[in-house]
Amino acid sequence: MTRPIRIAVDIGGTFTDLQILDARTGTVVAWKTPTTPADPSEGLMVGVREAASRFGFALSDVGLLLHGTTIATNAVLERNLADGVLLTTAGFEDVLEITRHVRRDIYGLAPDPFPCLIARDRRLGVTERIRFDGSIETPLALGDTLAALAALRPEAVAIVFLHSYANPAHERALRQAILAAHPGLPVSISSDISPEIREYERSSTTVLNAVLVPVVRAYMDRLRGRIGEDGFAPRIFLVQSNGGVCSLETAAEQPARLLLSGPSGGALAASRIARELGRPNLVAVDMGGTSYDVSVVQDGRVSIVTQGEIDGLPVRLPMVEMRTIGAGGGSIAAVQAGGRLTVGPRSAGARPGPVAYGRGGTEPTVTDANLALGRLDAQFFLGGAMQLDMVATGAALARLGNALGLGPEAAAEGILALTNASLAAAVRLSLFEKGLHPRDFALLSFGGAGGLHATEVADEMGMTEVIFPREPGTLSAYGILFSDLVQDISRSRLFTVGPAALPGLTALIAELRAEADARLARDGVAEPDRALTVAADMRYHGQAFELLVPWGDVTAPDAAALAALEARFHDSHRQRFSYSSEGEAVEIVTLRVTATGRLPRPETTTPVPAARPARKGTRRVFTGGAWHDAVVWDREALDADTVIGPAIIEEAFATHYIATGWQARLGEAGAIIAQRGAR
Amino acid sequence: MLSPIDIEVIRNALSAAAAEMDVTVWRTSRSTIVRELLDYSTAVFDADGWNLAQSARIPQHLNSMSAALRTLLEKFVAAEDWGADDIVITNDPYCGGQHLPDIVAFRPVFHEGVRVAYVGTLCHHIDVGGLAAGSYAAKATEIFQEGLRIPPVKLFDKGVRNEAVWSIIRQNIRKPDLLLGDLQSQIASLEVGRSALALLPARFGAPAMLEASARILDMSEEAMRAAIAAMPDGTYEFTDQLDDDGIDLGRPIMLTVRLTIAGDSVTVDLSGCSPQVQGPTNATLASSNSAVMFALMSASGGGFAMNAGCYRPVHVIAPEGLVVNARAPAPVAHRVAITHRLLNAMYGALHQAVPERIPAAYYGCSYVTTFQTIRADDARDVLVEIEIGGSGAAPAKDGVHAYSSGMHNNSNIPIEMIEAQMPLTITRYALLPGSGGDGQYRGGLGLVREWRIESPRCFFTANMDRFFSQPYGLAGGKPAAVGRLDLIRGRTTTPIPPKSDNVPLVAGDIVRLETSGGGGFGPPAARPAAARAADRKRGYV
Repeated sequence: MTRPIRIAVDIGGTFTDLQILDARTGTVVAWKTPTTPADPSEGLMVGVREAASRFGFALSDVGLLLHGTTIATNAVLERNLADGVLLTTAGFEDVLEITRHVRRDIYGLAPDPFPCLIARDRRLGVTERIRFDGSIETPLALGDTLAALAALRPEAVAIVFLHSYANPAHERALRQAILAAHPGLPVSISSDISPEIREYERSSTTVLNAVLVPVVRAYMDRLRGRIGEDGFAPRIFLVQSNGGVCSLETAAEQPARLLLSGPSGGALAASRIARELGRPNLVAVDMGGTSYDVSVVQDGRVSIVTQGEIDGLPVRLPMVEMRTIGAGGGSIAAVQAGGRLTVGPRSAGARPGPVAYGRGGTEPTVTDANLALGRLDAQFFLGGAMQLDMVATGAALARLGNALGLGPEAAAEGILALTNASLAAAVRLSLFEKGLHPRDFALLSFGGAGGLHATEVADEMGMTEVIFPREPGTLSAYGILFSDLVQDISRSRLFTVGPAALPGLTALIAELRAEADARLARDGVAEPDRALTVAADMRYHGQAFELLVPWGDVTAPDAAALAALEARFHDSHRQRFSYSSEGEAVEIVTLRVTATGRLPRPETTTPVPAARPARKGTRRVFTGGAWHDAVVWDREALDADTVIGPAIIEEAFATHYIATGWQARLGEAGAIIAQRGAR
Repeated sequence: MLSPIDIEVIRNALSAAAAEMDVTVWRTSRSTIVRELLDYSTAVFDADGWNLAQSARIPQHLNSMSAALRTLLEKFVAAEDWGADDIVITNDPYCGGQHLPDIVAFRPVFHEGVRVAYVGTLCHHIDVGGLAAGSYAAKATEIFQEGLRIPPVKLFDKGVRNEAVWSIIRQNIRKPDLLLGDLQSQIASLEVGRSALALLPARFGAPAMLEASARILDMSEEAMRAAIAAMPDGTYEFTDQLDDDGIDLGRPIMLTVRLTIAGDSVTVDLSGCSPQVQGPTNATLASSNSAVMFALMSASGGGFAMNAGCYRPVHVIAPEGLVVNARAPAPVAHRVAITHRLLNAMYGALHQAVPERIPAAYYGCSYVTTFQTIRADDARDVLVEIEIGGSGAAPAKDGVHAYSSGMHNNSNIPIEMIEAQMPLTITRYALLPGSGGDGQYRGGLGLVREWRIESPRCFFTANMDRFFSQPYGLAGGKPAAVGRLDLIRGRTTTPIPPKSDNVPLVAGDIVRLETSGGGGFGPPAARPAAARAADRKRGYV
């Protein structure tokens, strides 16, 4: 064991979170350091150095660095992107700008256009046409395409031809011609990036990828530049949207795979906790300063979808399914026209932040309400690192209360009641839309603000168990620590399920598996550590959307294997949509291979409770319209104690509120498990 | 007396119930029109049938379900005869509905014997019979040709299926499995809504629920009145027009709006509109009200909960026998044409009151095209597409190209999906330069789409408008281009009438559609040189 330290880093907007695993002892420790937005790799190195000196390892001991980054996401949100050119089949240059039509704001009278990353004068049509079956109707004719392209001085190029998922020959030939004229120019072709049917979504994904390549390449170069400092030379992997990691080389070619990686860590952690605690059905909720993210673990597996979006731009790539609503600690409470109290969607963010931060905020937030009602300790905020202005908070709540005809406590409790109701509504909808019911799930609460609301949110839904994992503030990094290399390879081709489809399916599966193997080999994964699984996007003939149906590790399917897949499709259709139609024709639209390269999985140990009294004292907490005494507990010291609500459990970066009627205990893997008593 | 917090918690719970009902319809429905075009709505009503919360996706549906429920309660099913396990349905446009494909279903919610609410769903069904598949015949001249007309009737009576009604429906429609499947999903959605709503009186008590409902409506009324009061008093008139009804060709249908704002209320007088027409371009009052309310709510600046409280300050005058309040048995299938144009006219009038808020005319038409392809082996496939045009320029902003506006809100269909499934090839899909109205702010562009027929035979049906009357500009802005529909056969291009049933086509024929842009806002002379240069550079003009 030459380099026994594994580090997972999750770079967020404010903090860079680290989790460090020492394979010699199995211990896992956490560290936090401020993010350095100008060059996040700087903060990363600061964090690694701080952790090394704090926990006593050498930089040369680090063998593996697993890195979650928002570099691609932020580049898109800030439009800090390369100046690209899009080449399309002639006659379809505007598909990127026409989009899919459905508007979001029904009542708006001065709408903004849908975002479009490459303007009309930088989109060029090329003479060529491929048909849906891959046959060539019009051969590729370059004409003056290369001259027109050169005149636009592109920093990156995207090529999207109709039906290229069925035949990539024209896209590849054009790429080759461009690279011959412009060696080193980043060229993304849609048959590589997202070889799936539906031209707008494929265009959007390919264009995003193209204009991100130069941005992500520059970051990789800076990151590589730090390798070698004081013997720091780990293998580095980046977290993707699909819940797995990939090599730097893959990320530099396909940066779109990083775009929605933010939730991956939390979801990975959730599925690990589901296993550790023997609770296969979890709803994971991550509440921070501005948002509430809901993901679902069912039968131990995180729900994956094949498309998401960033800033209104579709990304057609597999990713962890997530429902996000704009509710967090910073959500602002206000009284609207007609005397309505609303909480959010406006947020005070980190600046000015809640009124109590004393940075100029004047409108009360959810955090202010939690402070005023004693759920958060004004004396021990962020472990005592921050002084709070409770007078200003009280005044802001009093103003809000006046506008509603309520006292400040009632106004604050109202803010929490409304917040909890909307969080619960988001969770219910996430389950409902899959045909699932809250009573069959436990709530897994994390994020800086999640613990303050979890038991009351569970009450809203009739859920009876809440799990508070260890290190809720750095849980994403904890999930990343145990991730594997995952490569998704897909290809759209329309098959009607039946014996006639078998030869075509077998050939396509073989092609995808070969490519998957080659990619894992390129990333240095030894053969015994590789696992390939197949899945199909399926639908009834006539439907316009597909269900993702797993097909195990099938290689050359026979009639029985295909029948089993079809039966699974009917089953999952029945579960999700309440009916199935066994008599109707079933189609396969896209085949997918997920290639997993297992990284070594060292054993971990559960930390022992700190040797100090778990009971820290009592605090006055306002709940149910009156002040009550609540016991305050120290999470790190909690052992065989029973916490009876109303109570508070505090730790360094988070506070948990155990509501009246709930009891909590320390469970497996250091998690606290709260259960609802009889009502 | 409930605290404002309780009221807000109840209001959010009502919206959440409507959302859960919405997810249930989506999750359990069968037909493409419901599941993929999302042509349905769900809503929660107070104990008297007034809309409290809705999850409408389609503006055409917004604010129309309350009319159906109220009409039903007033004329057909007395509230005291309507038990907790009775579900009433109807699709009758002349009972507060819009057109026959829309079936509404309602169920009351009780708590300890007290009626506290109703829940309702509306689905656009794929076919309800009549002389054309899809129940959208362009040439119908009376409603009896448009399909099965279901009067208000109990589909479930004390929880028991009314089998007679089910079998009458089954016998009279083209796709019984799809329709009855979608109807089942409406019923499932009502149960989801009922059980979600039942939690509220269980927690707060029935009187509190009724009090909260009343307050919620009052608060929206107050907010709506404040928004109207902020508009200058006066009478504002505007007329826009539809090309014709598809039968009496070339005879325009006039939509005249006379809007009077007085203090905190508004009167919308539609008496000047054309008499009802022979063809299906007629609207019932519920449809017209929906366009009027949509115009006023969007012009109000928003920020408050949209519910039946917002209707109270609005008085609509629309004598029976006009296109905006057709008398039975006039056909009404294409009522969306009337509501598009009525909305254009409403905005034209509102521009005079709040010129800083109202955009120039959008394209104002659902460009519906239907291709029925027939292969050599006689296999038949049908493609229905709804295209759009450009949005009108806003008072300080260019219009948006190819932007779904006004009364509809549908998705287009991916070219690759069409070609993979049907003998059709799309040969062009692009923005249409020059189609937006000029002005200080330019209207959004319409688009062009071309379909080439690959099967030996094909029948093409179109139902569209704005081929003669242009989408208007405002404040000196120019109108947008009109639409155009051509058949290209070999080297010959001939126009196809925009309202056509079953035009015979053969392999190699190309149908080319050009849609209208949006009107311009402000005088063209005021458009900055830089904006004109950018338009030229990007080829928008």
